[in-house]
Amino acid sequence: MLLIRPLQENDLDALYAMAQNAGKGLTTLPADTELLQRKIDRARDSFSQRCAPEAGLYLFALEDTETGRAVGISGIEARVGLEEVFYNYRLSLTVNASRELGVHVRTPTLHLSNDMTDTTEICSLLLADNYKGGGNGLLLSRCRFMFLDEFRKHFSDKVFAEMRGVSDANGQSPLWDALGSKFFDMEFSQADRLSGLGNKSFIAELMPKYPIYLPMLPDSARAVIGRVHDNTLPALKMLEAEGFNFNGMVDIFDGGPVVEAFIHNIRSIRESVNRHAMVVSKPVDLDVPPEQRVMISNRSFRDFRVTTIPVDCIEPDTIRLPRDVADALRVESGDPVRLAPLKDQLRIPHRR
Amino acid sequence: MWRVRPAKLDDLQQILDIAGTQGARLSSTLPKTEHRLAERISHAQASLAAPAPKTPRRILLVLENTETGQIAGTAGIDSRAGNGEPFYNYRRDHLIHASHELGTSRRVEVLYPSHGLTDHTLLCAFSLRPELRETTAFELLSRARMLFIASHRDWFSSRMVVEIQGVQNEDGSVPFWDSLGRHFFNMDFETADQYSGQLSKTFIAELMPPNPIYVTLLSDAAQAAIGQPHRQTQANYELLQQEGFLPGNYLDIFDGGPVLEARTDGLRTLITSHPKTLHGSHDEHGETCLVAAGEGEHFRCLLTPMAETLTDDVKVPVSAWKGLEKSAGDRVRISPL
Repeated sequence: MLLIRPLQENDLDALYAMAQNAGKGLTTLPADTELLQRKIDRARDSFSQRCAPEAGLYLFALEDTETGRAVGISGIEARVGLEEVFYNYRLSLTVNASRELGVHVRTPTLHLSNDMTDTTEICSLLLADNYKGGGNGLLLSRCRFMFLDEFRKHFSDKVFAEMRGVSDANGQSPLWDALGSKFFDMEFSQADRLSGLGNKSFIAELMPKYPIYLPMLPDSARAVIGRVHDNTLPALKMLEAEGFNFNGMVDIFDGGPVVEAFIHNIRSIRESVNRHAMVVSKPVDLDVPPEQRVMISNRSFRDFRVTTIPVDCIEPDTIRLPRDVADALRVESGDPVRLAPLKDQLRIPHRR
Repeated sequence: MWRVRPAKLDDLQQILDIAGTQGARLSSTLPKTEHRLAERISHAQASLAAPAPKTPRRILLVLENTETGQIAGTAGIDSRAGNGEPFYNYRRDHLIHASHELGTSRRVEVLYPSHGLTDHTLLCAFSLRPELRETTAFELLSRARMLFIASHRDWFSSRMVVEIQGVQNEDGSVPFWDSLGRHFFNMDFETADQYSGQLSKTFIAELMPPNPIYVTLLSDAAQAAIGQPHRQTQANYELLQQEGFLPGNYLDIFDGGPVLEARTDGLRTLITSHPKTLHGSHDEHGETCLVAAGEGEHFRCLLTPMAETLTDDVKVPVSAWKGLEKSAGDRVRISPL
């Protein structure tokens, strides 16, 4: 069984291995033991509410219950830009017009911005290669929406995700080469790594602060602004299906887009329903394709757990849960649970 | 004999002909249409008669062959750059982007749109028939403006500027324009130049981006052209530097050419020129000097051999009197070549 639960102390090794395999481009999870340990500590403090709600970093592990090992991770940063400054470029338009000259020219322009400050970010999604497919990525990503909705008061009304931008096989980013590299004496990968390590003040110190007129950049750089890396295309599709849209902000280094949605508009949340658990002794065939499964959460803040169960388990008032699933979710008969669609629309039997 | 005098409407066609030989240029030039040029000349004539010293004046002088009446060049002075409108330039400046955390620093070159030179006195509209570029007529035409300023000092500001034409390729393309201005107009330099002639430089300049420009994002050719004079302007560039002009931090916003600056009272011609009383001499010997006489529409300037006396007098061949429209006992201003 694959189970979402809060990231724990003993996930460090698995996390490090995943970060190492992911290679470049994953800014928020560099393969750095010390940094990953700090993230684990922060996540622990967040779930146990030992830090201010706005400082929360909620990291979820996808655990294969057979091995007890984490095979994926995803996260929610409660508020970005509160301790450090959070940068994006806002892609905006400058229009030059003169009736006398017959001129009406639109110039796309990048403005350095801190507009995402104080907004909730979903981040740090990583799934081990041999677990890709079968709806695992969906579970890892969408479980976060259940958490966001359940504990809305901890988060902003709007939530966003930064999508990885275009870079080639050697990790070269066309936008970085045309823009960032002219101001930073370093490679894209180094800048990206420094940014991931949390050393963000160097960005403020070295980044150009005046608007950048896009026609002054080469075609190769302009073409990647607001575009995602091919590997990130499925993640983008998934978020778009949830109701996320490009909000005009792009990453200052690689030009990857920022997509955002209001929490109450997210599809998983709109289609979620509450039920009570009913633990049954009769075995349930859990091995059904993702199309026939739904997500189920235990609605707990401190020990938030989510897994998937067959649609057939949904009864008009309750959810039938086999003992092992109930144990994994740490629920008993009568406990409240929440359901949300994994892939398709949630099919809920009508009450008789 | 070549002499410099204020332009008249009769000169219109000949001035248009010269403009045709000068190539496209957005800044500090004369209008290229008959209608606009006529307005410009009328304005220049009115400027000579304006009573209040601080009125923005647009002086236009021409180089005339006194024997044939041929007009071979023009030179202008705007007493207040911008003529009441903002005068646009880029100010070339540097920012140090330093990271304390990384222990690095980098010098970043930035072009800031600026109106800082507005209301300085501007030398402008200089044009000369190509065949005269190597002759003393060139120096006469250029420096006649300084003598005009010396003779009407209270009309002009304490600071002077002159925009030097920037780099242009053989095919007419302008690297600085192509890398910057062009993006905001969607037209080549020559087309923009035509509009500039019909409207005004300020009109075009107001369509340029209002934000500073990072030099490092310009094309290599544009970066190389920053602050560089056009080959053809080399002689003018050198003469102006001898006069006391120096390149500063300002650039032309269209072609990136240098803007020269000077203190008006520090200009060589202003320091070395002296008012004298005109007297006759019958031989054509002596040191050739610039001599100017008359005020406003009667201003005349020419080159003549001259002998100074120990008193306040200057001896000038009678043949030159006619060009100056002066006679013995009148006051003139002289300056050595």
